Amino acid sequence: MIEFLLTLAILAGINVLLACGFNLILGYGGLVSVAQPVFYAIGAYSSALLSMKLGLPVPLAMVLGALIAAIASFGLSLPSLRVSGDYLVIASMGFQLGIIHIINNVEFTGAASGLSGIVSAIESPWRSQIYAGTIIAICAVTILAIRWLVTGPYGRAITAMRNDEEVFASLGRDAVHIKVTLFAVGSGIAGLAGGLYAHYFLFLTPDQYGIFSSATLLTMVVVGGAATVRGPVLGAIFLTVLPEAIRFLNLPIAVMAPLQGVIFTGLVILFLFVKPEGLFGSKSGGGLDAWQSRAMSSSMRKGAK
Amino acid sequence: MDLTLDLAAQLTWTGLASSSSYCLFALAFALVLKVNRIWNFAQAGLMVVAYFAMFIAFRWLGLSPLPGAILGAITTILAAMALEYWGFRILRQRNSSVLTFFIFTIAMSQFLIYMAELIFGTDPKTLFPSIIAPVRFVGPVVVSDWDLIALSLTVTLVGALWLFLRKTREGKALIAVSDEPDLAEMYGMNKDRAYLVSMALAAILMSAGMYLIGTKAAIFPSTPLSQFMIFAVIATIIGGIGNIFAAGIAGIFLALLQSYSILVIASKWQILLLYILIFVVIILFPQGVKLKLGKRGPARKAGQLPPADDVAEKAS
Repeated sequence: MIEFLLTLAILAGINVLLACGFNLILGYGGLVSVAQPVFYAIGAYSSALLSMKLGLPVPLAMVLGALIAAIASFGLSLPSLRVSGDYLVIASMGFQLGIIHIINNVEFTGAASGLSGIVSAIESPWRSQIYAGTIIAICAVTILAIRWLVTGPYGRAITAMRNDEEVFASLGRDAVHIKVTLFAVGSGIAGLAGGLYAHYFLFLTPDQYGIFSSATLLTMVVVGGAATVRGPVLGAIFLTVLPEAIRFLNLPIAVMAPLQGVIFTGLVILFLFVKPEGLFGSKSGGGLDAWQSRAMSSSMRKGAK
Repeated sequence: MDLTLDLAAQLTWTGLASSSSYCLFALAFALVLKVNRIWNFAQAGLMVVAYFAMFIAFRWLGLSPLPGAILGAITTILAAMALEYWGFRILRQRNSSVLTFFIFTIAMSQFLIYMAELIFGTDPKTLFPSIIAPVRFVGPVVVSDWDLIALSLTVTLVGALWLFLRKTREGKALIAVSDEPDLAEMYGMNKDRAYLVSMALAAILMSAGMYLIGTKAAIFPSTPLSQFMIFAVIATIIGGIGNIFAAGIAGIFLALLQSYSILVIASKWQILLLYILIFVVIILFPQGVKLKLGKRGPARKAGQLPPADDVAEKAS
């Protein structure tokens, strides 16, 4: 029971990191990419392979995995400067599915059968306790760093860019720099989360990083409240823990997995209609309003022309 | 593998026959995108509804092909209209963002897939116990009954859709609403009705496509989302967003490309071509790959592109 709760805490912590990184890109930057799971995958596989094949220490492998994910984000962020809105959603989806398909079909990643034999980060009888504590500490540092970033002058510049890119650029500010940086930082955090996952669960499979994973992450951000610091944190914890509640019903695995899926997706749909601003987003601030207000200001400007 | 004339003929025929269901899925997706202005990823969920409604009709109720297929289509039409009425309409009224629609449609697809897995299990299933179709040689080309049924059904449905959009009052209203919804409403057209009709038409197209798929191969409940949906999205993008029939043509082109690509690349890499196409086409040609037609054909005219300003604005 304790082991289960610790594992759940670790998974929730990893999801908190993923949601926070995604929130930087999506919530604060207003960049509607859905490819965040692919940077999670790149971080996870890079970290696992660097420690397995080159014998690098696990913490170093994790940091390098995060760096590789951040660098890989240029592959999406630079071309995506040409498009926005639903076009960016589709382009990012193509990017994500393409990379995952490659991981799914090359031998050195373990292909579709998955990558096993990953080096454990900690060898100790208190492995789960130490790992849970480490992840909570990393989450706390990340949340504080993001809070510092988005509440300072740079954060105001990010918000200004998101709300009205044309006006922002006309003031001589560099929107491209902000977009690329947000992508890199958000993807780097996802890469770090991938490394943390890989060296605890010790098995990776490409199926974990598909389109549904994108929708899951989006949901964590939106249900919590996008463009708020605490929203994605609480959204990630809420949506990690809740579907696990039925584990105690001791149902057969063939029933359990789809039933968890039904509960999760049912909750998502319910939230979209009942509380679209998110659990912790205000009606005038975070949540989906972050994009709606931008769309409104844009259309008002066009109307004024 | 060397490309001989016989092999080329066989690959072309097989590719064309296989493209029939992809063409129908692409048309369904492009129609909803044009009229309802929604990237309807819930189409995968509706395909699952169509498939398992027909599965119940054929395998549980023992119905023969025609009544079973009609039952499947009716069920899917009702599900699609319910999705529009209780889902899209409400989100539209709230002026929801593109992300809300994305999350809703993906979540809805997954919800229906999980429901299907819960009820029918996770193993692959065919619509009939036996899916072996009689074959014959036409010259050097192997032609199966399934090929003939698939092509004739697709041609019939595409023709019917073209006639509907071009010749009926309801179809013209659909095109008008897709071009300028508010203006169309001012002229007395009911745009909510148009949205429902387009969903119903899409449901018919996807039901027919799923019938063809299920009479040729076994599929998992998740296959529509992981394969068919992506194919329809790419075909729609390549065809040019807002251009319904060009999406169908792009679907055929993609199926032929896949069919021929076995000569040069391993089958496991074929789908990667499609993903690369999504990324490259949307980045480089956000208005779609324009087909160089000397004069706008009637089919292109029926599914014409939205005003260029709209597309350029979105792409910027």
